[in-house]
Amino acid sequence: MDLVSGLFEAITASSTYVNAALFAGLLIFAASGEWIAERSGTINISVEAMLLAGAFTSAAGYTATDSFPVGIICGVLGGMVVAGVQAEMSHRLTADQFVVGLTLNILILGLAGFLARVVDLTTKTAPRWTIPGLSRIPLFGDALFGHPWPFFLLFLVVPLAWWLVFRTRWGLEVRASGEDPQAGDVSGIDVNKRRRQAIYFAGFTAGLGGAFLIFVQVGRFDEGVVSGRGFIAIAAVIFGGWTLRGTIAGCFVFALALALRLQLPNYYEGVPTELLQAFPFLVTIFGMALFAHRVRAPAALARPFVRGLK
Amino acid sequence: MNADHSELTGVGADAASTPAVELRGVTKRFGAVTACDSVDLVLQRGKIHGILGENGAGKSTLMKILIGLVLPDEGSIHVDGQAHQIHDPLAASKLGIGMVHQHFSLVDALTVWENVALGEAGRLDPQAVQHRIGEIGEHYGLTIDPMARVGDLTAGLRQRVEIIKCLRRDPSIVIFDEPTSVLTPEESMTLFASFRDVVAAEGRAVVLVSHKLDEVIAATDEVTIMRQGKVVDEMITADADAPTLARAMVGRDVSLRGERAAFGLVNAAAADPADVGTSDDSTPGDPSSPAVLSIREASARSPQGITLLDGLSLDVHAGEILGIAGVEGNGQRPLGDLLSSLVTLSSGEVRVSGEIVSTKTPGAMASAGIGVIPEDRHDSGVVLDMTVAENLVLIDPARAANRGVLDRTRLVESAEQLIAEFDIQCAGPDAPMWSLSGGNQQRVVLARELSYEPKVLVGAQPTRGLDVGAIEYMTSRLRDAASDGVAVLLISSELEEVLDLADRVAVMFRGRIVGEMARDAVDVEQLSLLMGGAAV
Repeated sequence: MDLVSGLFEAITASSTYVNAALFAGLLIFAASGEWIAERSGTINISVEAMLLAGAFTSAAGYTATDSFPVGIICGVLGGMVVAGVQAEMSHRLTADQFVVGLTLNILILGLAGFLARVVDLTTKTAPRWTIPGLSRIPLFGDALFGHPWPFFLLFLVVPLAWWLVFRTRWGLEVRASGEDPQAGDVSGIDVNKRRRQAIYFAGFTAGLGGAFLIFVQVGRFDEGVVSGRGFIAIAAVIFGGWTLRGTIAGCFVFALALALRLQLPNYYEGVPTELLQAFPFLVTIFGMALFAHRVRAPAALARPFVRGLK
Repeated sequence: MNADHSELTGVGADAASTPAVELRGVTKRFGAVTACDSVDLVLQRGKIHGILGENGAGKSTLMKILIGLVLPDEGSIHVDGQAHQIHDPLAASKLGIGMVHQHFSLVDALTVWENVALGEAGRLDPQAVQHRIGEIGEHYGLTIDPMARVGDLTAGLRQRVEIIKCLRRDPSIVIFDEPTSVLTPEESMTLFASFRDVVAAEGRAVVLVSHKLDEVIAATDEVTIMRQGKVVDEMITADADAPTLARAMVGRDVSLRGERAAFGLVNAAAADPADVGTSDDSTPGDPSSPAVLSIREASARSPQGITLLDGLSLDVHAGEILGIAGVEGNGQRPLGDLLSSLVTLSSGEVRVSGEIVSTKTPGAMASAGIGVIPEDRHDSGVVLDMTVAENLVLIDPARAANRGVLDRTRLVESAEQLIAEFDIQCAGPDAPMWSLSGGNQQRVVLARELSYEPKVLVGAQPTRGLDVGAIEYMTSRLRDAASDGVAVLLISSELEEVLDLADRVAVMFRGRIVGEMARDAVDVEQLSLLMGGAAV
């Protein structure tokens, strides 16, 4: 099979889109919270650790209770515990946000790997819901409207993130904190508190993302279940120029790349799998190279704020 | 006049007996420095109260205490007769204290209404905020588009947003922090005229913080003078005159022209011919000789696509001082940055002694013989954690090195020489830069730039944040440089400083030179119109 027709088969297969929707769901959960954290001025690289912690605690929660809602709530709590460490360390104790994030990513990877070996986790995917009518749309129907039910939490989280940032006073203060913390401080905003709260929100959505991995996409926990997708979520925020719409679009582009990686080996024999595995990350790098210089980051992104200093 | 005001307020005798604000024995120390030393201050309703002092006299610390940005170590604050602790700006705003900041309380990326709503409590109601901005604009003559992005506004309009943001909370006490540094003289006169009416009619107490005598004399009813953290005098403005105020502010008679310029006292029309003589003792450059520094049609954009320079052309000849006047934010900073090799031009060229200098290569301007005293010495002038000696060779460390290895003996020797020559007060060549006062840090920058014997010396806001003595030193050095044949470009938002020093004055507006006149031919009214962007 030649290159072009193989690619054509891959992008017309509805299973590609089902997989893409699953990858996109995970990325969108992670990226919508990451987007708010970045708008407040933090490059929250511990989103990777938040996803993994959320995945582990949701699996543990389900193992203990056999309840999907309890599992999801445990996932949220797991993501928020990591967020708590990140937020308090970098925006109360003024530790460097990258050092804290890097440390958390390594720590949680080790911890989750260890605990997964000690605890016997039994999990499965949640019951599948299909939205009548909509799921029959050709090519995209199944991808968007036929999944295990926690998938549909996405349709709540994204509008919630938008509403918080653009329609509430809290969101206005978060944006001001990410653009000009001095001006925010002079105006009477507790900048570091808003930044901490934004990271907690990132922990909340990444925790949901972790639960999504277990109950929608994979069905069981292992320590490699996240494997760098938190970083792709960060790339999606940059790709999207720190707008929510662009971020979601970025998630879909990168998710499609991840899905094609799964699909392509069916059509190309003999292509090294390592090369195919690198494919989504190549797309990510090209996406960043194309868009990173055309967009404007929050002016105070990654700059710590200490009161009274210039 | 004062009597008129208290009658008009209609608040009556009560207001006179209970001051709006009363500070008693307020003290604040930062390490070994006492910024405010048992300061007493009384503000009355219906009056404009001036707080006058040099840079570093403690004015702004005192105001920061009043609006909750700084906590005092000692002393009491009474608002309407009640003792209060003001922990943060929100507490101050609940007490009715509002401050109009110079330029640092606005977020560029947000719209006007978002900025106005920032820092308030309660549910966010965009329509209500936008409506209120319209009302305030109509009431005080401060109309503005609530949907405009603040970053796109001119300095004058931004000041308007600051004022609306402050008035929107209906403060009974309004503090103006050095409001005129970002306004044209016209704009500031209009502003104060309208504020007199507002104060009179609505019984608010207004504080005007300033280091400019004429502004304080023109706009205030009472004045408190601060020096080195202490209140040294209080008087009714109508009873005071400029020399009295200046003496109280500095603690001695003020006679030097440079000093008077620092206080905004040089009469811009140069009515006194004897005054002009002092700046004429250097021979101004011969305009017919070829220019040493020549910029042609220079245009540049920021990475975000904002126009920084827009077809700017200027010439500076050997031995003359060209002063760039203009309201801050009209491209003065990019011009200074261009000559520090920090800005790359999209079109146009820069020539030094006829040779084109690349704007793409870092350090090319310095190699071509341009010395720069940068606008913000902490940002781009000195490295605070390095020693005085190291800072003195920072531009070209090769001078104190053999094949890339620093030669300590030569480093220290040349540093000691410069320390003596420029009278830099420090513990020695190895003293860390941060241990020096602002004036002495600026001397290090000056010594370094002049020690390279530049052909062109650029002073970008060279006296900002310095005290009177340091200002006098800096201006005399700039004059000396010009009389030694250096082409001097002075970029300053202090119009008085430009008029005091320059042989020619060029006005900058939106990234270009919009007018130019010889010092003797300056018409301040016309200059002010040019600064405001009017075509003359």
